[in-house]
Amino acid sequence: MKTILRSLVMLGALLMMAALAQNKVVMGVSIPAADHGWTAGIVYWANQTKGELEKMYPGIQVIVKTAKDASEQANQIQDLYTVNKINTLVILPYESAPLTKPVAALKAKGVFVTVVDRGLTDPNAQNAYVAGDNPGLGKVSGEYVAKQLGGKGNIVILRGIPTVIDNQRYDAFMAVMKNYPGIKVLDAKYANWNRDDGFKVMQDFLTRFKQIDAVWAQDDDIAVGVLKAMDEAKRTDIKFVLGGAGMKEMIKKVMDGDKLITADVTYPPRMIQNAMMLTAESRVKGTAMKTPTIIPSVLVTKDNAKEYYFPDSPF
Amino acid sequence: MLQPEKPVADKPRPRFSFSGWGPLLGLILLCILATLLNPSFLSLDNIFNVLTRTAFIGIIAVGMTFVIISGGIDLSVGSMAALIAGSMILVMNALEPRLGAGTLTVLVGMLLALALGALFGVLHGLTITKGRIEPFIVTLGTLGIFRAVLTYLSQGGAITLEQNLSDHYSPVYYGAFLGVPIPIWVFLAVALLGGLVLNRTRFGRYVQAIGSNEGVARYAAIQVDNIKILTYVAVGICVAVATILYVPRLGSATPSTGLLWELETIAAVIIGGTSLKGGSGRITGTVIGAILLSTIGNVLNLTSIISVYLNAAVQGIVIIIVAFLQRGRR
Amino acid sequence: MCEIYHRQELQVNHHAPLYAQSKASLTAHRHAARLCDWRRYTVLSVRFESICKDFGPVRVLHEVGFAIQKGQIHALIGENGAGKSTLMKILGGYLQPSAGQVLVDGQAVHFRSSREAEAAGIVLIHQEFNLAEDLSIAQNVFLGRELRRGLLLDESAMNRQTTRALEQVGLWLDPRRKVSSLIVAEKQLVEIAKALSRQAKLLIMDEPTATLTPGEIETLFKLIARMKGEGVTILYISHKLEEVKALSDTVTVLRDGRHIQTAPTAALTQQEMANLMVGRELSDMFPLKMAFSSPKVVFAAQGVSVPGWATEVSFELHQGEILGFAGLVGAGRTELFEGILGLRPRSSGRFELNRKTIELHSPAQALRQGIVYLSEDRKGKGLHVNMELRPNLTLMALQLYAHPLLDTAAEGRAFDKEAQHFNIRGGQPESKASALSGGNQQKLALAKILHPDPKIVILDEPTRGVDVGAKREIYFLIQQLAQEGRSVIVISSELLELIGLCHRLVVMRGGHVTGILGQEQMSEAEIIAYATGIKGSYATA
Repeated sequence: MKTILRSLVMLGALLMMAALAQNKVVMGVSIPAADHGWTAGIVYWANQTKGELEKMYPGIQVIVKTAKDASEQANQIQDLYTVNKINTLVILPYESAPLTKPVAALKAKGVFVTVVDRGLTDPNAQNAYVAGDNPGLGKVSGEYVAKQLGGKGNIVILRGIPTVIDNQRYDAFMAVMKNYPGIKVLDAKYANWNRDDGFKVMQDFLTRFKQIDAVWAQDDDIAVGVLKAMDEAKRTDIKFVLGGAGMKEMIKKVMDGDKLITADVTYPPRMIQNAMMLTAESRVKGTAMKTPTIIPSVLVTKDNAKEYYFPDSPF
Repeated sequence: MLQPEKPVADKPRPRFSFSGWGPLLGLILLCILATLLNPSFLSLDNIFNVLTRTAFIGIIAVGMTFVIISGGIDLSVGSMAALIAGSMILVMNALEPRLGAGTLTVLVGMLLALALGALFGVLHGLTITKGRIEPFIVTLGTLGIFRAVLTYLSQGGAITLEQNLSDHYSPVYYGAFLGVPIPIWVFLAVALLGGLVLNRTRFGRYVQAIGSNEGVARYAAIQVDNIKILTYVAVGICVAVATILYVPRLGSATPSTGLLWELETIAAVIIGGTSLKGGSGRITGTVIGAILLSTIGNVLNLTSIISVYLNAAVQGIVIIIVAFLQRGRR
Repeated sequence: MCEIYHRQELQVNHHAPLYAQSKASLTAHRHAARLCDWRRYTVLSVRFESICKDFGPVRVLHEVGFAIQKGQIHALIGENGAGKSTLMKILGGYLQPSAGQVLVDGQAVHFRSSREAEAAGIVLIHQEFNLAEDLSIAQNVFLGRELRRGLLLDESAMNRQTTRALEQVGLWLDPRRKVSSLIVAEKQLVEIAKALSRQAKLLIMDEPTATLTPGEIETLFKLIARMKGEGVTILYISHKLEEVKALSDTVTVLRDGRHIQTAPTAALTQQEMANLMVGRELSDMFPLKMAFSSPKVVFAAQGVSVPGWATEVSFELHQGEILGFAGLVGAGRTELFEGILGLRPRSSGRFELNRKTIELHSPAQALRQGIVYLSEDRKGKGLHVNMELRPNLTLMALQLYAHPLLDTAAEGRAFDKEAQHFNIRGGQPESKASALSGGNQQKLALAKILHPDPKIVILDEPTRGVDVGAKREIYFLIQQLAQEGRSVIVISSELLELIGLCHRLVVMRGGHVTGILGQEQMSEAEIIAYATGIKGSYATA
């Protein structure tokens, strides 16, 4: 008799908890593991925002998970649903195609899905989309380079890794260059978004071209290698190096008025914060979320550098 | 013994085998081609650039030659370099307030690097010999572990050397002696030392004996386990030396530091004529192999006749051609 | 191991009459006869005409010409390096002659591969077997001509046929067993079964008895006689003249790549054959036995046990003594000494050197105490065949040449001296050991283990795969070592060798010492009695 009674009480308690949980926002955040500077920034901002959100909206629960490849990420979001019982998912997919189906499956089960940065192949698999602006990064960079050179001069380009992102940036940059026939793009080679390859490729560019006016390194990590190579070769013909993404060391240089790093173009890992904030707001308040939300790539110069400098972030 | 007739002739005949010169021939052909495509290839600056950047892979490859000749493999060298670089920078940064941004701090950093390299080598060697686990598996495991620890230490970003220290340390990479960059001297010294150890010491002889036939070596009273452990220590120390040269180049370690170095290193050793099965090998071959690999990249950067999308294909073709030139050596 | 062997032998003896020539017994066992009817093969003869073979500038065969008659057992004898193996490889399709031709049944043939020779019915059974160790017996027997049912392999048919092929050679084994799990004698029979299943009409056997025990040899000889009866021509290469004498119909002698003589076996005595092989009068094979100088015990082993191989073995070794270890294959002799040297795990055992207790846990430790061991497995454990001669010689005594850099010139001088002393012929110091003939490889291996100047020398099958001349040299060398005051342990399967050489003999069976024979007790019959368990309870030496 006693046992039955106790069981009934337990059952009641469980039912109440389940009812409460239904109103509560449980947000899963699935992002790539920190394997280079930019993703490190993503991880940093995701964890940062988790704290802020939980303070801002008591009762919200945020679970941040990182994955080291696409298949791990696909398993992870399933676990988030079955184990953590999430009803909201913010995901920065490792790759678009392999994650489209798993995300769509979650959405079909009633999970609100916000996709960040890398769009899925099927837009119906998501409720909202928050993204950086890759063509914008190329365009802003191209315009800055053209303006600084006064429409005339030789440049070299160090690209990233052969991917859609890289192509979008590069194509937009080259589209701007079409308008400036006085600017000659000497060559463009892949530097794989890392410092060592930036160093090597730039060394060889320096050997090959005797007069270079500007370098578009596309990414701040590459730019670090480029600067070292120039320093070693003691070349003075290069007027400036433009990186990209907004690494804190580079923003600091811009802020301090560095001669070579005169500007940077953002592609902020902080976009994960925007996505999480906007999603949480819409879910808690029940308002619709604007989609797609594009986080523009902004030119950072000495004047506005302070706004983009986050010394605590790893990136 | 009793009726000595026709004993072995006592004059060793000089031997010349064309096939042994495959890698060198390949390198020379590549250099001629490169010069035709872009004459600045032959400029002293460019040659120094290529040799300097070869130094990292080349130095590690000298150590790797011992491991491979003994019949082992070390897949962890790239990750190990990254972890040693990161640890070195963190420790030097931490010591700077106390020891100052001077030679002492840098020396402590270097010693730490060497100690770590040797320690990792001992750990590899013990796990492989006493734990009886395949070297491929052991070092594949540590490949992941080392890089993960570095990524953790750097939180995915960069571990950067303090500017003052970096300035003080940079001559180790950027400096020159008699007009030749320091890393080239170090590379040369390591290669010469490696050649001497391989061909003119008991250790070197035992390494070859073990790789040639471990059973025979064991029965010939060679302490096989100890020699094997020492080969992993040798490659660990070579990684440390390479890292000591690498750190002042960029003054930072990131999760992409030393990425795929293991493949380049092993490729250099094998292109150089060392059998992946072990037994025999030559340090000169390894050195040429390493130079050849970085020259391919250099040539591709110096020209734009081939689409950048095909770079990897060109590298693959050159490697296979060189292997073809030296086939039949065994 | 030897128990297994006995069972097979019994079975062979039991079944042997089934395959006798008489038609009656064959029809009585139609099942077996239908599947292995050797008589349907046409018998085959071979004629060599002025065969020459050059390796680079070196001519190894000089206009060799002789004939092998149909259905005979034809023995080919000669010292190592006489060109026997080269000639056989030419017949077997592994090599092509530089000049001259091979006639098979009167037709000139030019085999470009062993496959072509096999198609003509000629199969060479190598001295080192040509079996893939990791495959099953059936997979080996059908290697390269697998039976298929549609796209898939027909395993059951292959296993069935293999079982029958094995029965022909007196092996009752599961065809799915891995070859690596077989003992040497079984592997040899598998090789023969494989050849027969490929319809061999002429079987070339290269040193088939080199690694067999007396009982196994007897089985093999019965099989050979039966095959001859079924019309298979057999070309038999051996160093063992008593075997040749007992088995063959005709004998051909080669020396230094030249044909010396072909004659009916009955027309030659063993001594005459030996003299023809070496080209000079061969005095006694064994040196005169000298009593060993001192009764001093230099080494004593007490209660040595090697799990699975040896139990509580004890023996003493005197200064200047040659102590033999006899026993069947699998008696645990090799494993006992590997255990003593620390090459195998040992569960018990104490050792004394000059009456002082010593530790023995690794070959390096043994070497420091002046104890060396030469393995029976020359290629796998004895000699680096892929390394040059010079580093092979100095490998165990490198400290003599390291100051700390190795003095390669001194190594070279040492090599020249030892090559002279041990009469190592046929290679440059910089050529690989694999270029040497078996006898010279063995002399080099001996020179290697003696280079550190050991006091106790353990030799496991020191004359295996070695020709008569080299054998004799090795016997005199062993004698000389003992004369110099060293103590020598000889493990051997050749009873005559042990009797001719040793002062005392330890006989083992199933991991136990069953007898210790003094000079006056040493006879073949006596040793076999102890080795097979007819005589002797477990004893200690």
